[in-house]
Amino acid sequence: MALNDSLREMFAMIELEMRRLRHDRTEIYTRAVQPILWLAVYGTVMSHVRDIPTNGIPYIDYITPGVLLQSTIFVSVFYGLTIVWERETGILKRLLVAPASRYATVIGRAIASGVRAVVQALIIFPVAILLGVKFIPNPLYIIAAFLMLFMISGGFAALSIFVASLMKTRERFMGIGQALIMPLFFASNALYPISLMPPFLQSIASINPLTYAVDAVRGLMISGDVANVPADFAAVIVFDILIFAVASISFRKIIE
Amino acid sequence: MESELQFAIEIKQLTKVYDGKVNALDGVDLTVKAAGIFALLGPNGSGKTTLMRVLTTQFRPTAGVARAFGYDVVKDDAMVRKIIGYVPQEMSVWTDITGYENLLIYAKIYGVPSSRRTKSIWDALQSMGLEDVAGGAVKKYSGGMIRRLEIACALLIKPKILFLDEPTLGLDPSARKAVWQSLEMFKKEYGTTVFFNTHYMDEADQYSDEVAIINRGKIVKSGTAGELKSSLHSEVIKFTLANHGVDFKHTFSSVADAKNVDAKNSHLKNANLKNADRNNADRNNADRNNADPKNADPKSRLRLLETIKALDFVDDVFIHDLNLDVVVEDGDVALPIIIEVLRGQGIGLERISVTKPSLDDVFLKYAGMRHPKDKGGNAA
Repeated sequence: MALNDSLREMFAMIELEMRRLRHDRTEIYTRAVQPILWLAVYGTVMSHVRDIPTNGIPYIDYITPGVLLQSTIFVSVFYGLTIVWERETGILKRLLVAPASRYATVIGRAIASGVRAVVQALIIFPVAILLGVKFIPNPLYIIAAFLMLFMISGGFAALSIFVASLMKTRERFMGIGQALIMPLFFASNALYPISLMPPFLQSIASINPLTYAVDAVRGLMISGDVANVPADFAAVIVFDILIFAVASISFRKIIE
Repeated sequence: MESELQFAIEIKQLTKVYDGKVNALDGVDLTVKAAGIFALLGPNGSGKTTLMRVLTTQFRPTAGVARAFGYDVVKDDAMVRKIIGYVPQEMSVWTDITGYENLLIYAKIYGVPSSRRTKSIWDALQSMGLEDVAGGAVKKYSGGMIRRLEIACALLIKPKILFLDEPTLGLDPSARKAVWQSLEMFKKEYGTTVFFNTHYMDEADQYSDEVAIINRGKIVKSGTAGELKSSLHSEVIKFTLANHGVDFKHTFSSVADAKNVDAKNSHLKNANLKNADRNNADRNNADRNNADPKNADPKSRLRLLETIKALDFVDDVFIHDLNLDVVVEDGDVALPIIIEVLRGQGIGLERISVTKPSLDDVFLKYAGMRHPKDKGGNAA
């Protein structure tokens, strides 16, 4: 019974996100600009520097998974802003008074953000093809890659909700969000292999969930080397479970 | 069991302490009758929002017990959430989707079965008079429409208790009226208990069956609005005394004179002039009235005062010129007796009016004192 209530709320949250997206798609398009610049400008320029060991993959192809993930994670990391806004209005109070459990609200919102992130990636994906990026033409691999995108985005959205429940105001949240996003991106294998990093950064990259997501998406979409993919998925599932639990527990705090 | 269910809400010694120091609620005792409209009044920071948030299971109380239709708000919180509707003070709908979509999402969150969903949504829209705008984006709604949509969202599950935190804050008078008319209709149809917080005394007076005043985390007074007002013992009966027979004649004759003047000047058929004459006549009249009390016997005035003051239901008496003000608890009962006394003294009356205290007076008496200590009791 309680599980039913919770599942229903989760689906309602996803539906809400889809309906909001349908009414106003501007954000999806404007947010696609930055990743496209990363590919078209940064990728093109850096591909002339032939010192980055990419195992023979063109540099622009190499960074495509990282840029795709970065753009979706941007959406997720700032998803907490929606929660902060809903806290300032009465929506959160109201959701907490609804019959569904509180963890359903958190997980539902995180999943909804994951769905939004996948839509975001679907905009960038064809642009990458136009830029000449060669994807592995295996539909199963592509679907698995999008599943990874969805899972990691949901996890980061939960992290964002957790941060929102501690920060509570827009300004403080924005500060943390900005401070989080770039290190997350740079301390991962999104733009360069981990082996190029100094040891200290390597150890950070190895606990950065984004590293595992990039590795999986790169294997599935670009290199075809899928040996590590199961381990990558396992790492991201562990991250998701942990962060969903932490965010659900701290969510109560947001209305106090 | 029967007697218990007469109450929608029962609260015993409810206490909420924030951060171990601020006593937002300090031993609240309260019962709210089922199927009525209950208004909780209190100054800012008095604890009324905190009380509502404890009752709606958002906060756990520090001590004490609160039940909604027998369900404990702490132990049976999941059950409580199934029977209540709640509209917070702040906006609680998504503005980037339509009104209908808001109701649809809330219907799914609240678990309205899909077979009944569409009907529930249209019922709620109809209850709040929003059928025509349901398909429009909420960001284009007026403040009153948004508030009605928020209430409509709470009505989807036909709650047994509807909690409204400052339901008409910031609305213009006609929007306020529309909100209340819709609420009264809904209440009548479904027998829902309505529990609302407000700053608007007129609203509590007009729409509530019961009122309680909270101040510094305690209920300081409760009852019907009428009971609270009469508890002030301050209805004022104002008599305008007539002068004795002679003066009446004077008064009448001046009016008659004026009429004569009118008649004499009637060939002018000038309305303005007529009015001017009337004004003159009135002024004559007023002059006489003002002049006469000076000639009145001061001893008899004093005697009149003493006699009325001696009546055991009279709290106070004032006399000035031809006006006699009597302060009593219940004007409707006191009035015939006082008239009898005045007649016995041979005093005629020109006008009588009874001024009843408003709920504002009640509020000021019980919650008017602001305590600097109270700051922040309502912190979110």
